[in-house]
Amino acid sequence: MPAPSALPSNPNKIVIVQEQPDLKEFVARLPAALQGYRELILANLVMIGEIPAPTFQEQARIDFLQQRFTESGLQNVCSDEVGNGAAVLPGSEGSRHILVSAHADTPFPATIEHTLSLYPERVIGPGIADNSLGLSIIASLPMLLDFLDIRLRSNLILMGASRSLGRGDLAGLRFFLNNSSVPITAGLSVEGVQLGRLNYASLASLDAEITCRTADVQGASRSGAVLILNQVIHRLCELVGPDDLVLGSVEGGTAFKTPARNAVLRIELRQDSNDKLSALVRSIDAIVEDISTRTGAQLRFEIIARSSAGGLDPLHPLVENARSIITDLGVEPCQDCHSTAASCFNDQGIPGLVIGITEGHQLNQPDEEISIEPVFRGIAQLIGMLMAIDGGCCDGY
Amino acid sequence: MTDIDSWLRTNTFHHSQFWDLKRLVEEKEKQGLLLSLCIPTLNEEKTIGKELVLFKSELMDRYPLLDEIAVIDSGSTDRTLEVAAAFGADVYRSADILADLGSRRGKGENLWKAIYQLKGDIIVYVDADIKNIHPRFAYGLIAPLIYRPEIEYVKAFYDRPLATSKGTRPLGGGRVTEILVRPLFSLFFPELSALVQPLSGEYAVRRGLLERLPFPIGYGVETSHLIDTYSELGLEAIAQTDLDSRVHRNQPTRDLGRMAFGILRAFFSRLRMHGNVPDLPELTPMLRQFQTRDDQYEQVLFEIREEERPPMIDVPAYREKRGLMD
Repeated sequence: MPAPSALPSNPNKIVIVQEQPDLKEFVARLPAALQGYRELILANLVMIGEIPAPTFQEQARIDFLQQRFTESGLQNVCSDEVGNGAAVLPGSEGSRHILVSAHADTPFPATIEHTLSLYPERVIGPGIADNSLGLSIIASLPMLLDFLDIRLRSNLILMGASRSLGRGDLAGLRFFLNNSSVPITAGLSVEGVQLGRLNYASLASLDAEITCRTADVQGASRSGAVLILNQVIHRLCELVGPDDLVLGSVEGGTAFKTPARNAVLRIELRQDSNDKLSALVRSIDAIVEDISTRTGAQLRFEIIARSSAGGLDPLHPLVENARSIITDLGVEPCQDCHSTAASCFNDQGIPGLVIGITEGHQLNQPDEEISIEPVFRGIAQLIGMLMAIDGGCCDGY
Repeated sequence: MTDIDSWLRTNTFHHSQFWDLKRLVEEKEKQGLLLSLCIPTLNEEKTIGKELVLFKSELMDRYPLLDEIAVIDSGSTDRTLEVAAAFGADVYRSADILADLGSRRGKGENLWKAIYQLKGDIIVYVDADIKNIHPRFAYGLIAPLIYRPEIEYVKAFYDRPLATSKGTRPLGGGRVTEILVRPLFSLFFPELSALVQPLSGEYAVRRGLLERLPFPIGYGVETSHLIDTYSELGLEAIAQTDLDSRVHRNQPTRDLGRMAFGILRAFFSRLRMHGNVPDLPELTPMLRQFQTRDDQYEQVLFEIREEERPPMIDVPAYREKRGLMD
């Protein structure tokens, strides 16, 4: 299927898909065309998904990705000191550089079985949605563009990002954007799910652990670490509203009869400004200090990952184009515009989006599941957004 | 007798030796070979889709090594056939192939009928229940046949230790291999004991040999193949490839007992056929296993007959299809 030969130039440097009938029609035909490459897409998904990749141990997945890049004839296949794997699909002009990345890590340890089950309509297995699918799209994209006869004018930088989740704190993507030797025109971060997500901003947020140790502490050891963390939880809930606090997990103890000596509480905090988040951190520090003093337990508040507030304007042409492309493909754009990954682009002043490829269920469970049919619309939106950026929609922003 | 140590050096491979699929395809095309993949199935809906997607994408579309991928089914009652067809395999019911010759129950029946149905000069058989399927399961077995014309039969084995030292460590097959087949081979066919996993369900064979092999249709097919190939061509015609690891269903011990019984029957028939032990008595097909019900002990009888299909080359319909002269 031939691509539109040249996107219309835009004197106002704002290219809206509705104003490009060629592109609009082209993207509408993409899902059907992509169906023909189902095996290629699914094979990459299976082979990537069955390589364990807990955060900080993504090397084997990155090696596979780079092998795919090499087979596809990409240039500058490389890795960096934080373990990202990247390559360049040169454009016909190369005046712009578009980054498409997906995080390579999953929340599952290497010790669990990573075999996937594939059915005609769905794929099941740990990490399949977050983010084996996203990474497999990065691996498949060069061949798909080639088969579809799509030639971009811009250089396309494809990257598997390391160290994204939890303590990784998006280190891979941040490192690349901090150290890129070329100016990035725009970035797209690809997540497996959910199709329709359109994240262009981030709240000020942080992930943190509050650990409690009562070992060998008289008094504290009798009440136990879990009970002490319960006091912390009560105080946090008085301090922060339910929309701004996620009580993610509590772990502690080893037995039925013995009070827990150690426990850990994992939380996420969100605020709409960096200053408010900093003030909140100071308040939590004070709470932790207070409870520690009163109980005699050792309490520690540790920030694991942090993102700053900011992002694109909802009327930014990249957002407008993306919303239009998603809608034209029959998908309802998700109302929540926030993602921590968007902050990586925002911190560098680069227009960037986080998008999802398909529908999924049981997220972050061993029986995580994705639907196959929506994948083709998910890839179509990605290609449509690339073509919009290639047409100049981010120029001057 | 072949020097086993020498054979282990020259005819035992690791799949990573054949990573260069582009070169492998070039060599295959230079020789003008047709390659067929056969996946015998019986209720494999959970794993068959993944196998087909990987083999088709990697070894047909990306690297055109395979010329056909066929699923030959023994009568699945789950969605195996539907899933296989959805992912583009040529799907056959075993009973529909050479229907005039009737239908037998057993994996060996599917393997035998594949010789008639498929077109390849080399047929690679891969079981359908492999959870960690990877293209190496096919190309690792095909490659020795392409690069080494004197090799006729390549068997898979699986050996990926989690930790290694410079010392020695035992290589081993499954329970039935180590307590039955390898001791039997050591007694009667010592050279065959060098095969690490003689019972593995993955192997690649040249048609010229395959069509001359009789086929037990049950548990004894792999053991019989090795004995027959060895007796006719010697160990030099056999090779084995390490495919790293294979994740599959584990069978309960009672099922392994039935497997061992079937293998023993096939093994003794080979001893008689090749004159190793010509005066064997007639062997019962009845296996006795035991269980308790309430306070009573009782025996459970299983009839396990190792029926055997003749060499395909002796089947008139095959000779006609392949244009072979009488």
